[in-house]
Amino acid sequence: MERTGADIRFENATVTYPNGHAGLKGITLDIPAGQMVGVVGLSGAGKSTLVRTINGLVPLSAGSIAVGGHTLTGRGGTQLRGRELRELRSNVGMVFQSFNLAKRTTVINNVLMGRLYHSPAWRTLLGAWKNDDVELAMRALERVEIVGKAYEPAASLSGGQQQRVAIARALAQRPQVILADEPVASLDPPTSHVVMRDLARINAELGITVVVNLHFLDLARTYSERLIGMRAGEIVFDGTGAEADEAVFESIYGRSLTAEDVLEARAEL
Amino acid sequence: MSQAAAPSAPYMGQRPSKPRRGRPTAAAVVVLAAITVWAGLGVGVDLAAIGRNWQNAVVNTTQLLQPDYAFFPKTIPALLETLNMAVIATFIGSLLSVPLAFLASRATNPNAPLLGAVRFGMNLIRSVPDILYAAILVAVVGVGALSGIMALVLFNVGIIVKLVSEALDAEDLGAQEAALAAGATWTGANRSAMLPQILPSLASQVLYTFEINIRASTVIGLVGAGGLGILIDNVRSFFRYHELSLIILEILVMVLVLEALSSALRKRLV
Repeated sequence: MERTGADIRFENATVTYPNGHAGLKGITLDIPAGQMVGVVGLSGAGKSTLVRTINGLVPLSAGSIAVGGHTLTGRGGTQLRGRELRELRSNVGMVFQSFNLAKRTTVINNVLMGRLYHSPAWRTLLGAWKNDDVELAMRALERVEIVGKAYEPAASLSGGQQQRVAIARALAQRPQVILADEPVASLDPPTSHVVMRDLARINAELGITVVVNLHFLDLARTYSERLIGMRAGEIVFDGTGAEADEAVFESIYGRSLTAEDVLEARAEL
Repeated sequence: MSQAAAPSAPYMGQRPSKPRRGRPTAAAVVVLAAITVWAGLGVGVDLAAIGRNWQNAVVNTTQLLQPDYAFFPKTIPALLETLNMAVIATFIGSLLSVPLAFLASRATNPNAPLLGAVRFGMNLIRSVPDILYAAILVAVVGVGALSGIMALVLFNVGIIVKLVSEALDAEDLGAQEAALAAGATWTGANRSAMLPQILPSLASQVLYTFEINIRASTVIGLVGAGGLGILIDNVRSFFRYHELSLIILEILVMVLVLEALSSALRKRLV
């Protein structure tokens, strides 16, 4: 699975939703290959939009985003579509808040979804996966230490285990970038740390660029080398976790820090 | 927050009074009853006819209560034909329905014009009753099991596509989103993320369709489309009610047994 990360370059990236709401207001941002970036902010601040533009799940209205060798553009430009868009997406793994597994099928079948781009249509339709793809999926499950569950139905796993299966699915793509959209929001505090450690380890060992949205500031500070604070579709902070002091939190959240904003305080309540 | 509340707004901790209802329900019942009476007058329902013809009813019912069991061996081929038609039609109908169901669901088909076209076609197929398909197909391909099977297939596709596409509409789209985000085509994402999720409900619909086919294949036989129906038509037109009675009994037993089997199986699925 040895493969290096990719740069992500936002150039005046703008998203205006059909209802007129501005998701991103002209973001310019440079994420070098192999960096682990945490994105924090209130809900509705545009964190999720920021992450979802990187693989084109949310289309840009204007500006551009370069990911590896591909460039996503707004409606004015030549929008990436069809096979080119799928090729970009095959290089970008994604982890979701609600795990997004097909719960009625096995763990290994879920991880193999990460190989869909590389699998010919007839193999996909028959479910006749190449041995190489199955091997990649098994190795991905080994990396998140859950390979023993390969043939269990996904529904029989706990939340934390399901999220690790989702990480394995992203790894099976052999991606250059992994996006994580609130990956621990549905998990309890100890499990949150397990999942965040997995993401950090993948970033460190494989050099994959990781962009992760987090609601909790302390988690973001602990696990990411770079912290980006968003408010109302704009970047209001960009620096290391250590630089993010009380004044910075106020600029991101528009108020002082409360127990709601950190994971550990909530765990004590 | 408190100063924003209007002074007349009730305090949220206060119990609300029970909302009034009842009069609209009563009005609806009166209107429905009026419509029913009007419809009855429209088709000229003559309740007195029951009184005038009761002797016929007694004679026929008496004959029907005495099945001619000696007739049983002669019904076996038709009985088997009915079963075979139901099995074949269920199989072919289900195979055709799976891809059509994915094309007919908003969740799995992003192409709006194609979605509309498939749904329109499915509504057309479903709007024609099975016996009408049978009557037309008997005229086209001739009397026998083939026309019956074709009629049942059309009937089944209508049902399965409707029910399975509704199951797809109601399904969680998370896994499909993940597959698309990994670079899958819509076909690939639907096959690997959506199909496993609806398999139990698909299997349940297929069994249910099989149950319906057992019953339907006896009825469509009345217009010549094979199976027990043809036999029913024969004995009935010669007023052989003892034999008719046996056939009805056979259908009753067959339907009850297969429905019990299918329900037991379906309970394990969902």
